[in-house]
Amino acid sequence: MRRVVITGTGAVSPLGLTAQSLFDGLKAGQSGIDSIKAFDASSFPSQIGGSVPAFKTTDFVPKSYRKSTKIMARDIELAVVAADNAVRDAHLATRGVLEAFGGNVPDQTWFTPDPSRMGCNIGAGLICADLNELAEAMVRAANDDNSLNLARWGKSDDPATPSGMDALAPLWLLKYLPNMLSCHVSIIHDTRGPSNTITCQQASAGLALAEACRTIERGQADLALVGGGESLLHPMGLMRWTLLQMLNTTSNDRPQSACRPYDVAAAGTAVSEGAGVLVIEALEHARARGAHIYAEISGLASCAGGLPLGEVDDRGRPLAHVTRRALADAHLQPGDISLILPPASSVPRFDLSDALAMQTVFEKLPAITTGRGNLGDSGAATQALDLVAAAWMLERGQLCPTLNCDNPILDMPMVRGASRSAGIEHVLVAARSLAGQHAAVIFSRYQEE
Amino acid sequence: MRHRVVITGMGWVTPLGHDLQTVWQRLLAGQSGIAPIRNFDARAFPTTFAAEVKDYQFPAALAAGGRHKNISRATFFVLDAAMQAWTQAALPEPRSPQHARLDPFQIGTYLGSGEGSLAFDTFTRNALSSWNRQAEQLDMPTWGRLAMQSFNAMAEIEQEPALPINHLSLEFNACGPSLNCLTACAASTQALGEATEIIRRGDAQIMISGGAHSMIHPFGVTGFNRLTALSTFNDNPRGACRPFDATRSGFVIGEGAGVLILENLTHALDRAAPILAEVVGYGSSADAYRVTDQHPEGRGAVMAINEALKDAGLTAADIDYINAHGTGTKENDSTETHAIKVAFGDQAKHVPISSIKSMMGHLIAAAGAVEAITCVLALRDQILPPTANYSVPDPECDLDYVPNSPRPAKVRTVMSNSFGFGGQNDTLIIRQFEA
Repeated sequence: MRRVVITGTGAVSPLGLTAQSLFDGLKAGQSGIDSIKAFDASSFPSQIGGSVPAFKTTDFVPKSYRKSTKIMARDIELAVVAADNAVRDAHLATRGVLEAFGGNVPDQTWFTPDPSRMGCNIGAGLICADLNELAEAMVRAANDDNSLNLARWGKSDDPATPSGMDALAPLWLLKYLPNMLSCHVSIIHDTRGPSNTITCQQASAGLALAEACRTIERGQADLALVGGGESLLHPMGLMRWTLLQMLNTTSNDRPQSACRPYDVAAAGTAVSEGAGVLVIEALEHARARGAHIYAEISGLASCAGGLPLGEVDDRGRPLAHVTRRALADAHLQPGDISLILPPASSVPRFDLSDALAMQTVFEKLPAITTGRGNLGDSGAATQALDLVAAAWMLERGQLCPTLNCDNPILDMPMVRGASRSAGIEHVLVAARSLAGQHAAVIFSRYQEE
Repeated sequence: MRHRVVITGMGWVTPLGHDLQTVWQRLLAGQSGIAPIRNFDARAFPTTFAAEVKDYQFPAALAAGGRHKNISRATFFVLDAAMQAWTQAALPEPRSPQHARLDPFQIGTYLGSGEGSLAFDTFTRNALSSWNRQAEQLDMPTWGRLAMQSFNAMAEIEQEPALPINHLSLEFNACGPSLNCLTACAASTQALGEATEIIRRGDAQIMISGGAHSMIHPFGVTGFNRLTALSTFNDNPRGACRPFDATRSGFVIGEGAGVLILENLTHALDRAAPILAEVVGYGSSADAYRVTDQHPEGRGAVMAINEALKDAGLTAADIDYINAHGTGTKENDSTETHAIKVAFGDQAKHVPISSIKSMMGHLIAAAGAVEAITCVLALRDQILPPTANYSVPDPECDLDYVPNSPRPAKVRTVMSNSFGFGGQNDTLIIRQFEA
C-alpha cells in the first residue's frame, strides 16, 4: 500500500484568499466575523457572519474558461479559487496554471501531471439558488395572492413576453448542482481520474480526503485535489441555521467575540463561507518530482451517530469511536497525538459532547485548538479549512490560538492567548455534521523511512 | 488482501412499482412508468409528463415510532427500499434482540442521494410577498420576517442531501462509515462502487448502499426544461423516452430509490445469507471537458469502463451484457455507443446493451442503483430487459440494444454505466457468485 502525503494547500476564508492568509489570521487571533453586508439581515435574530474578501473569479481561471464563471454559484467560485491556490502551491503546471503562465513554466520546480492519474474529490453543500434571480422570474407569473401561477410560469399568456421559467437563463440549473465544484475544478486543471462530490455537511472534506487517499493508496491515481467549499452566507442559509438554533443571536453588536467554541459562555455560531483544497499525492510521486511535503496522511476513519437529526450523544461516543478508529488506522496511541482540531460548533450541547469524547479517548489531553472562533461555520468548507490549518500548524511547528475561548469547559487544554512554537508530530482533525456523519483524519510529520 | 463483496439484499421504490418482483416483471414486459405529471400542475410546462412513483404508501412499520418526521419524498422511498433489501438479506429486524447483537460500527451507509424538494408554496409566496417592484429586487427585511415565521426548521434541514443516510443510520442503527455523494446522474453507481471499496478494505462488514432522488417538482422540471434536456413528446408519454433510436429527443425525469445490501463475503457465508451476486469491478473518471457537454469521444466514459475492467481483472470479452446509461438524449446515446466501441473494440457488436430508462425514466441520482438491481435480476433469471420504444435505427447507434422484447441469454458478468451532468463517470461490474 502506497504512502500518501500533502504537497499543496489552498484556502479562501473570511481571513483572506490564500492558505497563507488563513494561517496568518489564525496565528494572529484575527476574527473573520462581522456584521452581514452581503444582504440586509436586519430582520434576522443573528445578523453576523463570515464573509470572504472581495475577489474576481475570472482572475483565478484561464482566459479560455472565463465565460464559464457566469454559471458558477458562490460555492463553486470559492472552490475554484481555493483549487487555484492549492495547485500553484504544489507547483503543478496543470492545464489552467500552464495557460496562465502563457504555456511555459517559470522554472524546473514545476511539474506537469498526467491528467488521467489525477483525481478530484471536493465536498459540497446544498447550494442555494439566488433568491433575487428566481424571484425576478417568478414575478412574471404571480397570482394576486402572491402564490405562483404555474400556468404562467410554464407558458406566457402573451407571446411577446417570456414566461416565468423562460426568464431564467438556459443553464440556470447547472449553477446549483453540488457536483459542479468538482466538475469545474476538474475541467480547469484537467484532472481526469476518480472524481466525486461528498455532501455530508461539516464532515464532507475529511470524508473526501479519505476516499481520494484510498484511491492513491490502491494505485488508481497518483494525485488528487480534495477538500470542500460552501457558502452559508445567504438568506436561506441564515434562515435555516437560525431556525435550527445553531446561531448566536445575542452578539450582533460584538460580532468578533460571538463564536466562542468550548467557552463556558458559548451561545451558538455564525454563518460563514469558504473553501479549502489540498493536493494529496503518492509519496513516491512527490519525491520523484521533488515536491514540498507538508505532512503525511496517516490515519482515516468515519462513522455515523445513529441519532435523530440535531441530537448529539450525551457522552460523545461516536466521536470517541471515530477517533479511536483513526488512531488504530495510523498505528498510533492516544499519547502520540500532539494537537487536536475538534468539531467545535460553539453550540453548548455539541461542545460538551466533544469534550467528553476527547476525555474518554485521551487520558491526558494534548493541545486543542480550532478556527471556529475566527471563522464561524461554513458547512462543507468547515473541515476543509481545518485540514489546511492543521497542515500548516504541523509543518510550521506553530500552535495557533483559539479565539474567544476565555474559560474552557471541563478545563479543556485549549491553545489560548498568543500562538506558540511546538514540535507537532501528529495532529488529529475531527468533524461531525449536523446530520451525524463523523470524519477523523490524522496528519503526521513526514519522515523518510 | 482485499475482501470480496457480495450483494445479499435489494429493494426499490420506482415509477413501475414498489417491490422487486412486480417492477422486474413490468420491465421484462416492456411496460412504461411514464405518464402525465400528478405531483404538480405541469400542463403549461414544455414537458407535461414524468416517471412518477404512483399510488405510494409509506409502510406503516417504518412510519410507526415517529423516527422519520418531516422527511422528503426521496427519504420515504429510500427507507422503504432499504427495508426491503434488509429483509431480503435475512438481516434481523431493527430493534429486535437479534439486531442488538450486530456491531453497529460494522454496518455503514453510502448513498448517492439528491437534495430534498423545497417547501414550494412557502418559498414562492415568501419571495413574491417581499418583492419590491420599484427596486426590482427582494426587500430582504420583509423576506426575513416572513421566512422566520413560515419555514419549518426540520423540514428545511431535511432537504440536505446528507439526511437520507441520517435516517438509514437511525432506522438500522448503522453507525459504520456513512457517506452521501451527489455526482448528478452518476451518484448511486458511484456510491455502490465506493461502498464496495469500504468493505474490500475491511472498514465495514455491511454497507447499505444505493440512492434516492425526486426532482419532479416545478423548479426541477424547470431546470431540465431550460436545459432542453427533457423529451417534449407530450402526446405520447409512454413512447417519449427512446434510447438509441434515431428519433430520440431527450430524457424523461423520474423519481424513486434503489438500495442494495453489500456484504463482506466471509460475513455473508458465516451467517448463511442469500448471495445474489458479487461486485467485482468499479471505475470512476472525469471528462474534464465541459460542464454542459460530454466529451465528444466519450473520453471519460471509456476510462471509467476500462478502469472497472482492470479492477475486476476482466476483459471486454468477459462482459455478457451492458446496462447502459442510455438516457434518450441525442448526445448521450451516440457518445455512449462510441465509448463502448472504443473500450470493447471488436467485442462491441457482440455484447447486448439495453436501457431501462425507456420504461423507468431517469431517476437522476437514484438511476444507477435501480440499474444495478436490474443487472442482478438479469443474472438471476438469465434474461435481459429490453430497450423499449426502439423503432428507427440511428447510424450513430449501431450496436445491439435488445429492442422492445426481453431476451433470454446466458449471462455471467454484467456492466452498468452511469454518466453525470458535469462529466463524472462511473462503471460497475457485477458477476454471478461463484465460491
